[in-house]
Amino acid sequence: MSEVTTGGTMLQPSVRRMALPTNALTGLVLGVLGYWAGVQIGNGLGFNDSGNTGVLAGYALGSIMFLVGIGFASYPLGRLFGWVTPSQPAYDEQKGVWRYLSLSFDHKVIGIQYLIVMLMAMLFGGIGAMFVRTNLLSPDTPIFPPDKYLTLVSMHSVLMIFVASAAIVGPFGNFFVPLMIGTNRMAFPRLEALSLWLVPPALVVMLLTPVFGGFQTGWTGYTPLSEQGGQGFDSYIVGFTLIGIALVVSGVNMLTTVITLRAPGMTWTRMPIFVWGVFSASILGTFAAPVLAAALSMQALDRTMNTSFYVSSNGGSPYLWQNLFWIFGHPEVYIFILPAFGIVMELIPHFARKPLWGYRTAVVGLLGVTLLSWFVWQHHLFVSGIAPALRPFYMLSTEMISIPTGIVFLVAFGTLWRSRISMTVPMLFCLGFLYNFLIGGISGVFLSDVPSDITLHGSYFSMAHFHFTIVGGEIFAIVAAIYYWFPKMTGRMLNATAGKIHFWWMFISFNLAFTPLFAAGILDMPRRVSTYAPSLQGLNDWVTIWAYVLFASMLFFAGIVIWGWFFNSKLAVADPWHARSIEWELPTPLPRRNFTRIPTFTRPPYDYGEGDARPLIEPNAEPAPA
Amino acid sequence: MRAVTLPRNVTDSSTPRYGNRAAVLVLVVATLVVFLAVFITRFVETFPYTLTSEVASQPRVVLAGTGGTETVIHLETVGAISDAIDFPKPSDPHQDWVSYLPTTTFKVPANSVVTMVIDQEDSASGLRNPFWAKAQGIIGPFHMKYYDQNGNPQEGDFTQLDDASTPAHTFAIPDLGVFVPLLGISDAAPAGSINTITFSFRVGKAGTYHWQCFVPCGSGTIYGNGGPMQTLGYMGGFLVVQ
Amino acid sequence: MAWAVLSVIGVVVALQVNMPPGNQTQQASDESSLLHLMLILSTPVCIGVVLFILYSVFAFRAAPGKLDDGPSRRGNLRMQWAWVVATAVIVFALAGIGINGLANSSAATTFASSGASLGSQTVGTSASDRLQVQVIAQQWYFTYRYPSYGGAESTHLVLPVNANIEFHVTSTDVIHSFWAYELGVKADANPGVDNITYVTTTSTGSFTVRCAELCGIWHGNMFDTEGKVVSQGDFATWVANLQSSESSITLPPYAPQYFPSPRVKGT
Repeated sequence: MSEVTTGGTMLQPSVRRMALPTNALTGLVLGVLGYWAGVQIGNGLGFNDSGNTGVLAGYALGSIMFLVGIGFASYPLGRLFGWVTPSQPAYDEQKGVWRYLSLSFDHKVIGIQYLIVMLMAMLFGGIGAMFVRTNLLSPDTPIFPPDKYLTLVSMHSVLMIFVASAAIVGPFGNFFVPLMIGTNRMAFPRLEALSLWLVPPALVVMLLTPVFGGFQTGWTGYTPLSEQGGQGFDSYIVGFTLIGIALVVSGVNMLTTVITLRAPGMTWTRMPIFVWGVFSASILGTFAAPVLAAALSMQALDRTMNTSFYVSSNGGSPYLWQNLFWIFGHPEVYIFILPAFGIVMELIPHFARKPLWGYRTAVVGLLGVTLLSWFVWQHHLFVSGIAPALRPFYMLSTEMISIPTGIVFLVAFGTLWRSRISMTVPMLFCLGFLYNFLIGGISGVFLSDVPSDITLHGSYFSMAHFHFTIVGGEIFAIVAAIYYWFPKMTGRMLNATAGKIHFWWMFISFNLAFTPLFAAGILDMPRRVSTYAPSLQGLNDWVTIWAYVLFASMLFFAGIVIWGWFFNSKLAVADPWHARSIEWELPTPLPRRNFTRIPTFTRPPYDYGEGDARPLIEPNAEPAPA
Repeated sequence: MRAVTLPRNVTDSSTPRYGNRAAVLVLVVATLVVFLAVFITRFVETFPYTLTSEVASQPRVVLAGTGGTETVIHLETVGAISDAIDFPKPSDPHQDWVSYLPTTTFKVPANSVVTMVIDQEDSASGLRNPFWAKAQGIIGPFHMKYYDQNGNPQEGDFTQLDDASTPAHTFAIPDLGVFVPLLGISDAAPAGSINTITFSFRVGKAGTYHWQCFVPCGSGTIYGNGGPMQTLGYMGGFLVVQ
Repeated sequence: MAWAVLSVIGVVVALQVNMPPGNQTQQASDESSLLHLMLILSTPVCIGVVLFILYSVFAFRAAPGKLDDGPSRRGNLRMQWAWVVATAVIVFALAGIGINGLANSSAATTFASSGASLGSQTVGTSASDRLQVQVIAQQWYFTYRYPSYGGAESTHLVLPVNANIEFHVTSTDVIHSFWAYELGVKADANPGVDNITYVTTTSTGSFTVRCAELCGIWHGNMFDTEGKVVSQGDFATWVANLQSSESSITLPPYAPQYFPSPRVKGT
């Protein structure tokens, strides 16, 4: 409560508050109203555009009103009108289920909310994948109509891209980076909350696309095919714009936090490697996503105001979209994998009880990938008819990016050598990651050489490549992180035996499902088709069966998590893994204020085997007065 | 064995309310299943019904002891579904779309001759690639009962359409090499006129082939290939040979 | 040790594999050799990594129940440099081979003249004498035009053997991709763009053409299994037949790009 005194009179600020309670329910109601209003406004503008303006305006206004309903407008409006605005911790007064359905600025609550949203999106994306594989059981008789099939392919891919772009940085970056660098909060808690709450509208918008007929371009949205679609494609535009804004916002927040809020003694070379992974991904996110937003707005203009950015008959060029998209798209896939590298390089030292071998090399590797990822995007366009002189340069740059990527293996092997490995469930998933990413990375080398790319581009080989790197890489890392950090986030352990069953189930079915796809691609099967040569039916049926088994393993995992969350008893110790890392030295459940006094870090990370174990931070004196 | 000075919170597990949590879980799963069922039935499973060809009462093609049969499929192409004459379809959600009626999935017997009789009622859009004005893959010429550019009724056998701007649609089965242009109703013809095009082609062993129109007739969409051209059931479908 | 043995076995197995796309054209041969080389190189790498992981898991297992730490080694600069240099060498070597292969696909081979002349032009038997074939991609089928034969158009691609072919790939609507599998050719068909790629046929046979870029509802059905590479005499006959059968229809003049109206009928 601030009081302003002028002279002798005392002015009290107005005690009016926001009349509405702001939570997810309000957000939903306001979102629907906003959608309806947006459609009226958009259609009222009277463009000759088959209703696209209405849908775009509806989605945009609906998302904005959802955010208002959640409570983002309370603070700016409050300051504008001089109302009493509750302090940030006051947002966490609520207990129970409503706490997680409301706006919170506690990075720990945001982390858990993010995890739930990401898992739900992964569920929807996975269901889409099952539809896709089911259709491929028969080479010429479709089980779903071919146009609906393409919408299913597009929905699966876009939803999974949404998941992959934020599934590590969102839940685990937000939860653990402040803990690991010794601070109580992130630099911009409202931006952090915004990056979270932009995801549900993006998901809803994407799940609404069947209502408008769906879209048929896959996640790359190539023009002019995208402009042939109806209103379903507007979901793609708005959904990706929202996710792009979330990437920028989260990136700015993460970068500022790591650069400015490190505790004393937490130098750049003492940061856990996980923080480096998240940091480098955030650099990419902040600078790549705006390119996508710009390109998408040009698509929106083409669809509403009959501009011709991407229509070559009127002077535009489809190359423009391809290039802009991939300038974003290639750093985007490194946004997927860099935090996953961070997780794997973080977990292996703890379960091998040995310091990370080659820490500085690992950092150079992560930053090298970050830098090089800006210079390789044309490898998606090798056969598009780009100037022939460009191809050797991009071939070289793409091949070169495998050097810093290989450093991850170097560091992992150095850590494993002569260590004391405990084969816990997270460790199993990290080892699975190493194998999967090996296959994925080597197949990338096959694709990077132009002569071999002639056969492999746009075929199932490239699909197998990115599924090995993203699913076999990032998803395995996410699962490892969930098993590892679940005790810290919720105070309960996930069942270890069930976890081991889950690992073998997932690892074996994943490899059996996706390895034959390399062969399918080499044997003349293009991507995104519902019809293929009858000789490949045996292969495709084998893949489909194992894909079902893989999906079942993920459902089993969902069961393990839900069971653990609801039914396992709370742990008696705060550090079940006996890991030497700051987040495990803190109590569980974590207090609202992480550190009563900002600590001073005195030791390097992963100080296993270095004499008697001393705490990572200086012992605290009595807590400071509240 | 570590000197940790921060207090440790040891919470003992209070009795969890399993009943509430289980109920929430069941509710969420049930909602998910319901949504999935609605999604599959309303959005995904929307095949046009299958039209089985009928044995020809008066065969066009002399089969000369080959033992095969000749079957007939009767179709109608319209400029807007609401204008349909032979096969009205008031339940279709896109009443203003061009369409083949009554359906776009056909079943024909293997190793037979298929005769298509198409009542073409749409006005001309013109071919993007004039190559398609020449009929290919059919047995003999195609027969047309049509209205010429002066509005006079004519009839005859043709192997191609001379003016590539006159077709309204084509019927093409690329995997069987069948490509037939369908003449559009000329502006001088009386309202409600129909051009009837009849042609025959052979099918071999069993399989599923797609057929499509090659005229960019999806009006208002980029390059004319959106809307009805990109939705199953209007301007493209399947020929199931069994 | 075990790695060396297994690698040798692996490489021997890899050497037996016949990598697609085969030998029908020179470019296809180059691509097959490169794919084969990469398979052979990656076999020892994969075997090495897997063996290392398995060995570590068994040799360095923590004794159950005990919680002691491993040695505190934080790095060995020489090993790190060795690894980085080794991977860099392999990578640059592969890039060099790739660039070499790229250069070959633009150069053309000179064949001994077979003496046959086809109509008004000897088919591309020398480097400067290429047979031009235009591939027109439209939703949802490919057609092919032969500009040196009056722009005759065909639904199936027929090529002469021992010839240098120059493909001009373009589209009249959305982006497609012309992928002639056994020929080792893939070139995107962009609307308004003339995408040129070269191939040198070296043996007769048939090939399949597929569309390799998502182009809409019938993308998966946009294929043709009846592409053929035939002898030069057969090609001459075929193209003469094509020209005469199309004398009755008026095809538009051959152009490297076609710019159809983007919006039709009603708007």
